[in-house]
Amino acid sequence: MSTKVVIKQSTYFDSVSLMSLSTKANQIEGVEQAVIAMGTEMNKEVLRNVGLLTPELEEAKTSDLMIVVKAATDELCESAFLKIEELFKNKGVAKGTSDIKYPTIDSAAKSIPEANLAVISVNGAYAAREARKALDNDLHVMLFSDNVSIEDEIALKQYAHEKGLLVMGPDCGTAIIGNVALCFGNSVRRGNIGIVGASGTGSQEVSVRIHDFGGGITQLIGTGGRDLSEQVGGIMMLDGMKALDEDEATKVIVLISKPPAPSVEKKVLDQIKLCKKPVVVYFIGGTEESVVAAGGHFAKTSKEAALKAVVLAGADESTINKRALNIPLVEEIRAKLTPEQKYIRGLFCGGTLCDEAMYIAMDKFDNVYSNIQKNPDYKLKDLHVSKEHTFLDLGDDDFTNGKPHPMIDPSTRIARFLQEAKDPEVGVIVMDFILGFGSHEDPVGVMLPAIIEAKELAAKEGRHLEILGYVLGTDLDSPKIEDQVNKLMEAGVTIASSSTNAGLLSREFVVKGA
Amino acid sequence: MSKINELFNSKLNVINVGIEFFKDDILKQNATATHLEWKPPGGGKPELITALDKLEDPALLEKIEAANKLAVERIVNSQPILIGFDQAINCVPGMTKTTILHSGPPITWDRMNGAMRGAVTGAIVFEGLAKNLEEAAKVAASGKITFAPCHEHNCVGSMAGVTSASMFMHIVENRTYGNIAYTNLSEQMSKILRMGANDETVIARLNWMRDVLGPMLRDAMKLSNGIDLRLMLAQALHMGDECHNRNNAGTSLLIQALTPFILETNFTTEEKREVFDFVASSDYFSGPTWMALCKCALDAAHGIENSTIVTTMARNGVEFGIRVSGIPGNTWFTGPAQKVIGPMFAGYKPEDSGLDIGDSAITETYGIGGFAMAAAPAIVALVGGTVEEALGFSTKMKEITTTENPNVTIPLLNFSGIATGIDVRNVIQTGILPVINTAIAHKEPGIGMIGAGITYPPTEAFEKALLALSDKIS
Amino acid sequence: MRIHHARSGDLDWINQLQHTTFHGYVHSVFDRTINVECSENGELYTLACQHLDNAPNTMLIDMDRFSELAIKVNDKVYADQRIVHIGDQLLIVMDQVTTWECQLPFFPNDIGSVINHLAFTKKIIEQRGKCGGMKPDLTTSSIFEQETSRLLSERSLMLQEALLQHRVSDALRHAAGLIGLGPGLTPSGDDFLVGLLSTFHMENSLGRIYLGFGEKIVDVARTLTNEISYTALKQASKGRVRESITRLLHSITCGKQEELILSLDKVLNIGSSSGTDIVYGIVCGLEINIKAGGTVCPQKL
Repeated sequence: MSTKVVIKQSTYFDSVSLMSLSTKANQIEGVEQAVIAMGTEMNKEVLRNVGLLTPELEEAKTSDLMIVVKAATDELCESAFLKIEELFKNKGVAKGTSDIKYPTIDSAAKSIPEANLAVISVNGAYAAREARKALDNDLHVMLFSDNVSIEDEIALKQYAHEKGLLVMGPDCGTAIIGNVALCFGNSVRRGNIGIVGASGTGSQEVSVRIHDFGGGITQLIGTGGRDLSEQVGGIMMLDGMKALDEDEATKVIVLISKPPAPSVEKKVLDQIKLCKKPVVVYFIGGTEESVVAAGGHFAKTSKEAALKAVVLAGADESTINKRALNIPLVEEIRAKLTPEQKYIRGLFCGGTLCDEAMYIAMDKFDNVYSNIQKNPDYKLKDLHVSKEHTFLDLGDDDFTNGKPHPMIDPSTRIARFLQEAKDPEVGVIVMDFILGFGSHEDPVGVMLPAIIEAKELAAKEGRHLEILGYVLGTDLDSPKIEDQVNKLMEAGVTIASSSTNAGLLSREFVVKGA
Repeated sequence: MSKINELFNSKLNVINVGIEFFKDDILKQNATATHLEWKPPGGGKPELITALDKLEDPALLEKIEAANKLAVERIVNSQPILIGFDQAINCVPGMTKTTILHSGPPITWDRMNGAMRGAVTGAIVFEGLAKNLEEAAKVAASGKITFAPCHEHNCVGSMAGVTSASMFMHIVENRTYGNIAYTNLSEQMSKILRMGANDETVIARLNWMRDVLGPMLRDAMKLSNGIDLRLMLAQALHMGDECHNRNNAGTSLLIQALTPFILETNFTTEEKREVFDFVASSDYFSGPTWMALCKCALDAAHGIENSTIVTTMARNGVEFGIRVSGIPGNTWFTGPAQKVIGPMFAGYKPEDSGLDIGDSAITETYGIGGFAMAAAPAIVALVGGTVEEALGFSTKMKEITTTENPNVTIPLLNFSGIATGIDVRNVIQTGILPVINTAIAHKEPGIGMIGAGITYPPTEAFEKALLALSDKIS
Repeated sequence: MRIHHARSGDLDWINQLQHTTFHGYVHSVFDRTINVECSENGELYTLACQHLDNAPNTMLIDMDRFSELAIKVNDKVYADQRIVHIGDQLLIVMDQVTTWECQLPFFPNDIGSVINHLAFTKKIIEQRGKCGGMKPDLTTSSIFEQETSRLLSERSLMLQEALLQHRVSDALRHAAGLIGLGPGLTPSGDDFLVGLLSTFHMENSLGRIYLGFGEKIVDVARTLTNEISYTALKQASKGRVRESITRLLHSITCGKQEELILSLDKVLNIGSSSGTDIVYGIVCGLEINIKAGGTVCPQKL
């Protein structure tokens, strides 16, 4: 074990910077303990108590900044210190460049020749124009905006394709480029798996599962939900696959989408045949034969997609904690539910998470209703009233109309949750909580009072209210996933370890005669 | 390597448009991001966006870019030379004894504001077309007077811009392209005809200018080979003028150049002394001179097919009008004249101000005045701003202009050239309006200048111009 | 050289600046504040950006950040009546400055609503307070943080106990153990004490019996913490704290709950965990106020 100490004399940083530096320093690989604190007597006392005080530190003055790093070897200590110095420097750089104000993409691109990507989230009426400006300037585009016409989407993607550029979107919520998460995304390990996803939360889920299974991501390319439609023809998924196939760091490619239009599916499968690298295909609710025929690896669930990718990327399957379904738990919950508590109610922020849970339920039940059901017979007629098994994508236009997305503003879901909790026919309410960049800073915290209230109400009425929660996030995300999970557990919420398990558990809780 | 693979292998550097916290999240991850100060183009009006889109069609775009390149080349390459002074009736095209030119786009007597009415009636008395102001007002309303914008007679006029037959004019020739521009002489002081003042002292001064100052300057310039105004303008900017509201350096340079010739004229020493005292009485003496220079250069760029460059910005106190190179002749695009915001002389309040008036915005059209505020930190207080704002204005104007004029530079901005060639498309695209430094005249006739400050054109003028351009260019 | 205007400033300091000349140098530079040490009295004064709140010895300037200027530590600072000169980088003109004076609220005779508001405040800290200082971060793996939090909570509890029992010398010992303790530029223990001390200065406050205690803490603090944090402590011991703290005290003692939420938000957003640490101190102080009030007759002290 090695400890290295640096004292920066009379150095002041504001508290926010100090804290964030300290947090980042502790995340540097190989670092056992890192401390960045002012050299007061009391702080030295703390260091003494935990065995980190060195004679050098004893000399630090109250105006000095102490940096202490403990790591396994001298080399690790040294390299950690270099990285910490880098962190101190970066702090200054990032600010300088963000201060200049440009009114247009043209002028910004002219003045910043290093710029390589435009993230566009303006009103949909103006978004296509800005995206075109970005492409004119040879910038790749992440188009977060929705309400962009399909004609504009096709024109933009064709233009981008000709120029060899990416257009991720429209309505693309997530991407990870060069280890930087854009818009809504999670902090995941760098690795050797590349993702092309047409569904935002589905891609987030797979990236998070890969991280959980010990794997990592090279790039996550979002395409927007309509990319695999007949009209758009999968332009960006195909371009993304080609780029990942040529990318040296990528060893395995994962594709995520709702089932594509048949003509587009054919193009994608043809492309899989041409790929040098293994391709895992997770088309939510899709079928296996064609994928396998094209030489791809079929995944029925998001979890399976992640697992297959990690194994194909070289992990030893026997060492992976696959987070198998907790069968005794299923028995226990079933025992608590009365015969009339027979329905699942899913209240989701993430569209793909809703989709996945719904498809899993549809494997065993017919009477599955939703606002996003393809089969019109099972499309919910009155959105405000649930029917039998109901899965709601609260992030869909049906519910967001004019309001912020439920990942940011939870009020719609809270109200709906309280409504469902009163229904004596409800066996389980399943909900997702999405962490990471862009999301609510404490999605569990805002839901807790309602959960507690509903539980109390059910207890008064003498029935068990089963609430199943899934927290989408990694140990690197903010807020901390452990905190979020703990809070839910304290409130008596059952925790699912993945989107797939959330779907399976909710179904199994209410399956009869199993 | 494909561009997508290049992206994978380079450090992410993002331009963020829209939701600002996306930028913060990117910065947190140690990547670089720049957030745009973006506004919906054309204020979000669909017809304007359609027009912008149309003009971006590659075939049209190529034509426009070529035309604009030509237009700004002509502005930049113009070499305006002061070649003489003479009475308007002798030199200004289309001038008659009963013609009165005024500033801004066309306007009829009944719509003129207080300052312009004051100036018009004063000029009618000065020309002997009426005995007094009361009678002059009747003459003005009678239809006997031909009113026309200065700009439509190769002239510019500051403030009310009122120019009549016997007033002496600068004659400025474009040595590169041959066209000529005119403007009358500074009356110095603040209680003057162009500001709407018109009592006996004002008329007496006009008489003296007609009888002594004008002829002396005319005779002096006959001895000269012409004065290179662009060279002098460049010097003045380096000496701390922006040549719209600050003319201290420019006036010194101009009178320095004129003095040897003035001394050689056949006027009495006393008369010469009067002229020098008059010039020394106000730093504004060279103000009109720079306006004529700008007009001379911009007229050379007017009427180029497919060009979206603004060649005129002018106000008549009621309306603000612009002309655009690609729409030749006298087609004006107008909107209501705006208030001028800035410090007032003691005893006056903002509600006393008349609306923005005068052809002097020709200086901003050329790239000086408000556009060159960074050259004149000394007057930032006059226009009620900070040095930092002044630098900001000059830099910001580059967002709506086409090129920089290398002949006229700003030391504080690393000697970069003045922002030249306002492009209507850029104004609509960015929502950034040209900034104008200007004087404030009292809203009532007969009082004069009461302050100075900053103003902007009405957006409508540019919107109308863009729509017309998108109709015309095909 | 850039010219900016002062927006508002601490009454005492503005008076001092407008009636005497000021000489000093830049002590430390942050993104949104610059500390200046006065050569005559060695005190620290602060120039802050406009969106920060008023505070003792502080002047707010019409700027959004200082980091774009090349102001360096040890740059000369000079002021003559109207203008503050910071090296060759910045001129601050004081012609339009408004003055601010720290005024703590009157402690009400009816303490019912104070008790309710305190309970509510605690609930909010529980939900929204930032971890890492007085509020322990239960998930941290850093042994430094774990030990710091342990000491902070142990000592603050003992301090509260000692004060309640009027054992002033014990209280001083525990307070000294807090000074300089914790992460951040202003260590958490210091922030806690700032909050605590502010409550003793309210008019009609039962905690006024502890004013002497505050002064003694400052004597001890000089060598135990850095100058920036020491200055805040010293001012707090005189009943001078930043505007957001006075607003919070006002909301707790006589405001409505909506007001309280807003003013709490402001304070919780100070620094990283600093705001939370301050609120902990305020809660502690007010609880002492309420409990200790029963045992003494303040009018006789």
